[in-house]
Amino acid sequence: MSMKGRHKAGQIVAHIALILISIYTLAPLVFLLFNSFKSNNEIVESPIAMPLAWTLDYIKSAAEQINFIKAMGVTFIITVLSVGLLILISSLSAWVMVRSKTKMAKVLYLVFTAAMLIPFQSVMYPLLDIFEKMGLKNIPGLIIMYGGFGLSMSVFLYHGFIKSVPQALEEAAIIDGANIFQMFFNVVFPLLKGTTVTVIVLNGMWIWNDYLLPFLVIGNRDGVKTLTLELYFARLTAGQYGNPWELIFPAVLVTIIPIVVLYIFLQKYIVAGVAEGAVKM
Amino acid sequence: MDRYYKKRLVPLALPAIILFVLVIAIPFIMGVIYSFTGWRGTYFVGGENFWESFVGFDNYIKAFKTKKFIDAFIYTIKFTLVAVIVINVVSLAVSMLVTYLHKAASVYRTIYFLPNLLGGLALGYIWQFIFEIVFSKILFSEEGVVSIPALCNMTQDNTKALFALVMLFTWQMVGYMIIIYTTGLNNISSDLTEAAAIDGANAWQRFKSITVPMLMPSFTIVFFLTLSKCFMLLDQNVALTDGNFGTRMLAMQILRTTRDSSPPDYGLAQAQAVIFFVLIAVVTLIQVSVTSKKEVEV
Repeated sequence: MSMKGRHKAGQIVAHIALILISIYTLAPLVFLLFNSFKSNNEIVESPIAMPLAWTLDYIKSAAEQINFIKAMGVTFIITVLSVGLLILISSLSAWVMVRSKTKMAKVLYLVFTAAMLIPFQSVMYPLLDIFEKMGLKNIPGLIIMYGGFGLSMSVFLYHGFIKSVPQALEEAAIIDGANIFQMFFNVVFPLLKGTTVTVIVLNGMWIWNDYLLPFLVIGNRDGVKTLTLELYFARLTAGQYGNPWELIFPAVLVTIIPIVVLYIFLQKYIVAGVAEGAVKM
Repeated sequence: MDRYYKKRLVPLALPAIILFVLVIAIPFIMGVIYSFTGWRGTYFVGGENFWESFVGFDNYIKAFKTKKFIDAFIYTIKFTLVAVIVINVVSLAVSMLVTYLHKAASVYRTIYFLPNLLGGLALGYIWQFIFEIVFSKILFSEEGVVSIPALCNMTQDNTKALFALVMLFTWQMVGYMIIIYTTGLNNISSDLTEAAAIDGANAWQRFKSITVPMLMPSFTIVFFLTLSKCFMLLDQNVALTDGNFGTRMLAMQILRTTRDSSPPDYGLAQAQAVIFFVLIAVVTLIQVSVTSKKEVEV
């Protein structure tokens, strides 16, 4: 076989392998989609077939049961505020740490990044104790906690990038009479766009889907719950007598729809964000 | 100019410092101190304050005598070992296939990343269905497509559940790791591999002598991420088996310790949490220093 022919054959084999893996990757999601339109009986009797009728009844009742609209609003607000807080605080502090070049800045940076090794479980109980005593065992407290936990990685990402940003522009801005905040937000921050996307993607995905922290902070208090929390409690209450698949599937489906829709529109940035984040480390 | 920034270091970094101290530093230090006390969550045994309640290393000794903790410790190590190997082998192999097909590659990467968007809890519920119904009734039961008893009722057996969890987590993580590996592979200049091919190196020799050493920075990151994520796994563990059949991992063990006894033994839970931290810190630091030493400068 010629070199070119061998290459062609190799490509076909590679495609077949990758398509098989794609099927394996997508199959669980297809089950999820199909089974969101079926009754419990139909799910158990024909678990991988297409639904007999594409009825929205199960999705509607699941969405009601997990207070979908409200829970999505709560999750959205928590995620946006936490990520916003993180971006603001970590970019500003990473920048001033890089620029001031003092021993203290180096020590600070070291302490921040070393904290990446601390698992959540090691601080969880004292943290809840402190926040409860401060009257912060609520959504504002939750946002502050996310701000603290996302800090290490975000400072680290910004720090890595800012090192490569030349200082000359900043000096020019000061000579033009800008104060430090004007200089930061008009000159420096726009240059950090790539890193900001990474910080949004990595923290946003984690905070949106997080189960443990909302579980510990908000728990089963009525009214305000995140999507993941609603899902957990719906499963818990309905699951006392076997598995309520006709609730679980549509409930899971509606909780993941917002993030999948976002992914379809922003996938280029999300993939770039993950790649960027990894290269920095 | 340096003085200009120096003066502003503390005021500008202050919000970050406050957050860090409040959320990480103080709770961490308190956690270590509390692990040496008879903390019960709402009170301390033997006094009003923690300094009246010191018990020395009692909580640590108790932790290592608690069967559930030892089991969770071993189960976590076993899971991490298997999962890190499987995730890395699969994602590296897929990455090499993907980079081999330059143009079409991004479509596959997009598909493989999808599972990563879902939370561990949601994933766990879907896979519970797959293991309990699809695997156990349709595919691998005696009346199924092929009878493979090892793949039936995987969530109801200690060892099988370990592999079920590995399958689930591999399915979830591979897409993320592929992005890192393909970025690394694309950075390897094709000049190197072509030169080696002209010199007569076969595919395996090129992989071993060029790809692997050049990919070391990616290995450092992927190993670090997979190791720490496997050690800290919680949501999937909760959703798939909820720790039944001795499948509790350390993160869940620490969380449930306070429910295992009455009054809840927070001192014991905290001692387990400190051991957990030491385990993760030691293992990941060793890994990072070993793999980054092998990185080559070009």
